[in-house]
Amino acid sequence: MVTYIIRRLVTAVLILLGASFVVYQLTAAAGDPLEDLRASNAPNKDQLIAQRVALLDLGTPPPLRYFKWLGGAAQCVVPFVGKCDLGLAINGEPVADALGRAMGQTILLITAATVLAIVIGIALGIITALRQYSTLDYSVTFMAFLFFSLPIFWIAVLLKEFGAIGFNDFLRNPVFSPTSVIITAICMGIVVVLFMSGSVVRRLIGFAIGAAVTAGLMVALSATGWFRAPGLGPILILVFGLGVAYLITQLTAGIKNRKALYSSLIMVPIGLIAYYVLNPMFSNITGWGVLGLAVVTILVGCAVGYFMGGFDRGQSMRAASLTAFFVAGLVLLDRFMVEWPNYFSNGRIRGRPIATIGSSTPNLEGNWWIHNLDNFTHLLLPTIALLLVSLASYSRYSRASMLEIMQMDYIRTARAKGLPERTVVMRHAFRNALIPLATLVAFDIGGLIGGAVITERVFAFTGMGNLFVASLLPIPDPNPVMGVFLITGLLALVFNLIADLAYSVLDPRVRVKA
Amino acid sequence: MRFTRISKAVAIGATAALALSACAANTGGTSNSSSAGSEGAGNGGEVRVVEVNAFSSFNSNTAKGNVDINSKIAYATGTAGSHFNYIDNNLKIVKNDKFGKYEVLSEDPLKVKYTINEGVNWSDGEPMNADDMVFAWAIMSGHFNDAKTNDAGEVTSGTNYFDYAGTTDGLGLTDVPEIGDDNRSVTLTYSKPYADWEISFDVLTPAHVAAKKAGMSTEELTKLLTTLPKGDPANPVKPNADLQKVAKFWNTGYDTKSMPTDKSLYVSGGPFIVDKIVPNQSMTLVRNEEFTGGPIPKVDSIVVRYIGEAPAQVQALKNGEVDIIAPQASADTLEQLDALGDQVVVEKGDQLSYDHLDLNYSGVFKDPKVREAFMKTVPRQQIVDTIIKKLNPEAKPLDSQLFVPANDGYEESAKNNGSANYQDADIAGAKKLLDGKTPTVRLMYNKDNPNRSDSYSLIAASAKKAGFKVVDGGLGASEWGSALGTGTYDATIFGWISSGVGVSGVPQIFGSGSSSNFNKFSSKEADALMDELIVTTDKAKQTELQVKIDKLIWDSYYGLPLFQSVGVDAYSSDIEGVKYMPNQTGVWWNFWEWNLKK
Repeated sequence: MVTYIIRRLVTAVLILLGASFVVYQLTAAAGDPLEDLRASNAPNKDQLIAQRVALLDLGTPPPLRYFKWLGGAAQCVVPFVGKCDLGLAINGEPVADALGRAMGQTILLITAATVLAIVIGIALGIITALRQYSTLDYSVTFMAFLFFSLPIFWIAVLLKEFGAIGFNDFLRNPVFSPTSVIITAICMGIVVVLFMSGSVVRRLIGFAIGAAVTAGLMVALSATGWFRAPGLGPILILVFGLGVAYLITQLTAGIKNRKALYSSLIMVPIGLIAYYVLNPMFSNITGWGVLGLAVVTILVGCAVGYFMGGFDRGQSMRAASLTAFFVAGLVLLDRFMVEWPNYFSNGRIRGRPIATIGSSTPNLEGNWWIHNLDNFTHLLLPTIALLLVSLASYSRYSRASMLEIMQMDYIRTARAKGLPERTVVMRHAFRNALIPLATLVAFDIGGLIGGAVITERVFAFTGMGNLFVASLLPIPDPNPVMGVFLITGLLALVFNLIADLAYSVLDPRVRVKA
Repeated sequence: MRFTRISKAVAIGATAALALSACAANTGGTSNSSSAGSEGAGNGGEVRVVEVNAFSSFNSNTAKGNVDINSKIAYATGTAGSHFNYIDNNLKIVKNDKFGKYEVLSEDPLKVKYTINEGVNWSDGEPMNADDMVFAWAIMSGHFNDAKTNDAGEVTSGTNYFDYAGTTDGLGLTDVPEIGDDNRSVTLTYSKPYADWEISFDVLTPAHVAAKKAGMSTEELTKLLTTLPKGDPANPVKPNADLQKVAKFWNTGYDTKSMPTDKSLYVSGGPFIVDKIVPNQSMTLVRNEEFTGGPIPKVDSIVVRYIGEAPAQVQALKNGEVDIIAPQASADTLEQLDALGDQVVVEKGDQLSYDHLDLNYSGVFKDPKVREAFMKTVPRQQIVDTIIKKLNPEAKPLDSQLFVPANDGYEESAKNNGSANYQDADIAGAKKLLDGKTPTVRLMYNKDNPNRSDSYSLIAASAKKAGFKVVDGGLGASEWGSALGTGTYDATIFGWISSGVGVSGVPQIFGSGSSSNFNKFSSKEADALMDELIVTTDKAKQTELQVKIDKLIWDSYYGLPLFQSVGVDAYSSDIEGVKYMPNQTGVWWNFWEWNLKK
């Protein structure tokens, strides 16, 4: 095993060396760094050319310049020297600093989208596999491929037009017109039908209920001015909390497991009590405070599950802590909604909360809630755009993998020995279906840092993708390009290795041969 | 039984719901953001401007820092000149007597005295005075440099101190300034008159900061700069260590992407001072309370946001996130802006850059008749109609090699230089000149630039009608620049940027043997006139000389100017005072007039 890892790492270094040489030469040959100056009619043209030549060291041919760069970059891997010299960008900024900043922006932009894409994508894949060739399956497949094949810049422009500009205009007077109520109600009715199975009559009833609930909700939200001053309030927290408790118990332990169900249900009133006790203290909270509360929440859930006991304490603890986590999430969400009017009326927001560019409003003043709302309004659109295009691969892979598993002999055995379908799906099939996805997820996380060039440009994020493009055009500047390459190349190789190792850990049939 | 149980449950539930809804949690003293809600300190409000490039240096005059955004920030914070005068959107020099005055003491030798008003201070309270002017002179004159460089631009001997990105041609003619009036004035004496003297000297970054960074007092710095001997590339001397320290700070010390902890790096001499920087995302300028040396701005703060893509700029403007944008003009962008209706004001205008067709004075074009014939085939009106009209319906072909329409001499020169003969293609005239010959012309251009490709297609199609054989010599973006002047083509289409103000750029293009004279135009008469032009300080005389030079160029069948590029600004209709500016200062030129409508 150790030999295997070492061998892989040595190969990785050799690959990086070779690839970095090629990338350096390609970048240096990507354009004429003096193009703008050659055609210049500035009286001091010759002086400007001399300065640019000195700045980019153009007197040294690129193959030799590469080794100069390598000399500096190699110091990064020498331990305890602490001298890491990736060179300077053309504007004099150290590449290491530029990389740090760009990575921060990229991680901010992509993390939420990736996590959501993984969770939602896998869930959709599993559900469609269980309902293979149903209307739901076809429609999810259709939508996934539709979004997959749309160019992201176009999705982004549409999202900005309707999700930001349109929605902000709507917020000026947040009342739905009767037409929009009817159209949305019909659409939601159709969605309900897609998720249903059964006779035509049943589906028609489902459609009616879906449409009626939607229409009622829209009318109620307009009438109460909910969009200007949203909130859940204790009742909705209670109702949603109970729903969450049942759902989570069903998924993790099964409703028949009464101990688990009661543990989950107990978490809802506890959450409600916390809602009353904690809310007055929330106004001066910090990120660390919220994190601490999240940990406490999960611990309380575990404790309740533990003391409820039963033949399988683990199940109760899992169900209770998960429920606790989500109920706490509802309490948090409610508080964000309470702060919304303050955010909305902030002078710098100008009553147009959903943003189309950047990651924050400059000079915005306010507490932790306001700043997080600001991040939310800025990240909402890019996250949706990235989510839509990356859903397809996760849902397709997990669907295929789930279908394959469900055909296995041991699934038939499990059914034959009388296990409830929930246990068959959640315990025997689902877990095994996730194994092939480990590779995909590891790759995607490695690729995350590489940045999303187009999304970054469209939403004016200055992440890794933007750094890469801006360093290639209009003046090719190899140093920052090499920085981006090093990070992405390194991550690709490392996560490739991690994926292989994880695979052998997850699946006993796969063994690493040293 | 069952029924009553259900109804009981419903009743209890309803009561509980009522009770609960009446008592939503106390959310604490909600931090009502009434104070955070107001914009800025005063009541002038905040204006948000979009830029494409991100800020990278507080010194915009070095080779590294010379990026448009740095120059604009320096313009607003008074660290790159524009104190004694500034250039307005009609390309006129406007004197600013609130800062100080300058007067010509004698025409020959040219002596100019610059005096800063009493009480004009930097934002840290230090006075702006002769120390700053001597320091600026040392940078802009290259007085102490004694370096020699080879063809590749590498220094072979001696030292270049300040890495100044501007031209040292003008102040290089001056000797050490004389200080006077209580250290508030300097007098510059030119060894020969310099045409662009009026725009070649101003205060740059503060001298007291540079002195402190080099470990000396301001007096010591001024003393050093006024006593150190002039550098002579022929006899390089050992570099002066003190001056090197100062120069090193000036060259690199101002480079930063983020807000420096050292306040002296962003000392301002202008109406605004940098308040906050979020690297690569935004920066905030607030009013410099010390400022007395010019027009006082109406807004309290300017927020700069960086957006690279033109469609993203337009949508951000539409969403009210930004107030002023100046996107790259394209038909799509203009269409999107026009669709915004009353919400925004769109201003279009000519830029200082223009495309032109140059004919080599060698090869197939050695014969002036062939040059003339080729010029006659160029469909200039059609080129403008095809490429520029969709952006600016009022566009016309550019009719002068030296002037742009915003300059005073343009109309006179256009009438006089013979451009009237080349308004549109004259195939018959060209055929007559060619007299049955069919010369082969290789036309070089940047084929990655759509406008140049279109120009080429139109010119080639038209020239073929007259009997020319046109070879497509288009090269990729990375190759065409280095092909210029190599004689591998007969004619070329590319762009130049008019300086707008000043005449020292003229010999750079048209002087015999000059490094931007790619087609090897050479005229003794024109050279003599240009020699006279760059030592002529009188504006009217300058124009007169330029009109003569322009005529000589046209008469020698040099080639043809085609069109000026189109620039566009758009701003929210809640703002007033924004005006289109053709030069690189862009909308920033009159930032003190920006105002939020109440």
